Amino acid sequence: MPRETWVLGAASNRFGKMKETGREAASRVALEAIQTAGIEPKDIGYTFVANAFGLAERQAHVGPLINTALGIPEVPSCTIESACSSSSAALHEAYVHVAGGFHDAALVVGVEKLSHLDTLTATSYFAIGADYPFESHNGATFPGLYATIANAHMRRYGTQTEQLGAVAVKNHANAALNPHAHFQKPITMETYLGSPVIASPLRLYDCCPFSDGAAALVVVAAEKFPNPRTEPLVIRASTRAGSIADMHDRPELTGLPASQRASHLAFQQAKVERSQIDFMEVHDCFTIAELVALEDMGFFPRGEAGTATAEGLTARDGKLPVNPSGGLKAKGHPVSATGASQVVEIFEQFNQLAGKRQVPKTGLALAHNVGATGSSASVHIFGRR
Amino acid sequence: MTATGPSQEPSAAHTIQEYQHGYEEERRLRGFRSGCGFVTATWGLRCPQCGQLDLQEFPLSGKGRVTAFTVQTVPADEFVNDAPYAYVLVELDEGGRISGWMPAVRAVEDLAIGDRVHWVASYKPGVQFEKDSAAAQR
Repeated sequence: MPRETWVLGAASNRFGKMKETGREAASRVALEAIQTAGIEPKDIGYTFVANAFGLAERQAHVGPLINTALGIPEVPSCTIESACSSSSAALHEAYVHVAGGFHDAALVVGVEKLSHLDTLTATSYFAIGADYPFESHNGATFPGLYATIANAHMRRYGTQTEQLGAVAVKNHANAALNPHAHFQKPITMETYLGSPVIASPLRLYDCCPFSDGAAALVVVAAEKFPNPRTEPLVIRASTRAGSIADMHDRPELTGLPASQRASHLAFQQAKVERSQIDFMEVHDCFTIAELVALEDMGFFPRGEAGTATAEGLTARDGKLPVNPSGGLKAKGHPVSATGASQVVEIFEQFNQLAGKRQVPKTGLALAHNVGATGSSASVHIFGRR
Repeated sequence: MTATGPSQEPSAAHTIQEYQHGYEEERRLRGFRSGCGFVTATWGLRCPQCGQLDLQEFPLSGKGRVTAFTVQTVPADEFVNDAPYAYVLVELDEGGRISGWMPAVRAVEDLAIGDRVHWVASYKPGVQFEKDSAAAQR
């Protein structure tokens, strides 16, 4: 039996453009997460780092640099890469280590910095997360790949542009209340509809921004830290799944099989029903991705997430709040920090630290994080003690 | 091959470079058909659907129908001077899908899902498609 495992501490910087290096930002949020948890750096048994595009800063093997900065150079570390799901993959590895009894506490740090690159170079880094010779070399960009999903979804289910816009408007409204967010201004549907098309049918405001950022989590064995000073997140499920890497080789374009598998396994592992989830953070790198995620995980029937979003069901005060942080779409998407930052939001919500974006119910929450176009996916379900 | 290695060489093209050289230099687009019926134009050693080691290479006609597409105004790095252009997923006549791009499609109105397209050899990178003539669409 796995040991009961908690997220005891969590921290994030403000996403956007970082002046400092990824290494500095990662070390700072790591220390903040450790302090939030009320433990000492020496309690950490292993550090799992996510930094997919670290080479953009001419720096690899950043784990020992972070540990040295934290005063724990003897602690082992490794870097986990799973494109945009890198830090949720790192969280999964930390969970496996702690729940499996190999260590009593582990540190998860996700960090990315690309803002010092020009747009074309940054776009090229993103493109190598897809199948370069068989997708990117045929002209695909990431907005283009998700645009084909949107194109297929609209064709099959009649999904409307305004329904995609409803995702953008909702998530910008949430991000406006989030001090960690890249964008802190709400947008209107008119602003959304007036934004230029990047890859039809996706407009500028359908797309997440290039963000720098860092987020960290402290994962511990409950039995070793019996008197937490925070409200820990009990990890009820930690699952990952994969699927055929190339989108064009998948049987269905309107869903991501890895999300379907990972969520199915997560609900089995947590032994909870979808109706019990109070709120969630889902992977909305593009607005269509949020709708597809909600359908893939079974929260709405196929083709109905757009209507539900437009009707306000997924708003902060709706029946099922989705992305109260603002999501990747508006909080920002520093690739390797994103998965961990979703959990930072859930931690702040559970600890009543979310201020004006506080959701009403925080008993059970879900985090869903996708790598590339869904060739990897992670789902975590968190509950209370 | 070692004593513990694979007992049979895969029939798929052995390198991605060979595959790309085929359509970029030799006017030869290859497909791979698995025993389970799965067809792909993506390099691999085993069938991604059934896992079997029986991918048989065969020549693709490069003809098919558009199953999804987007017109990108912001290009991929190898296509900086070509935007806008369409990135397309094509359902091949032989089965399976392939991705490619269409430089002549510069607006959404220029293409529709279901349109017939064919592969054309080009000096530019990637698998390039053109729309069939109006007569051929019928």
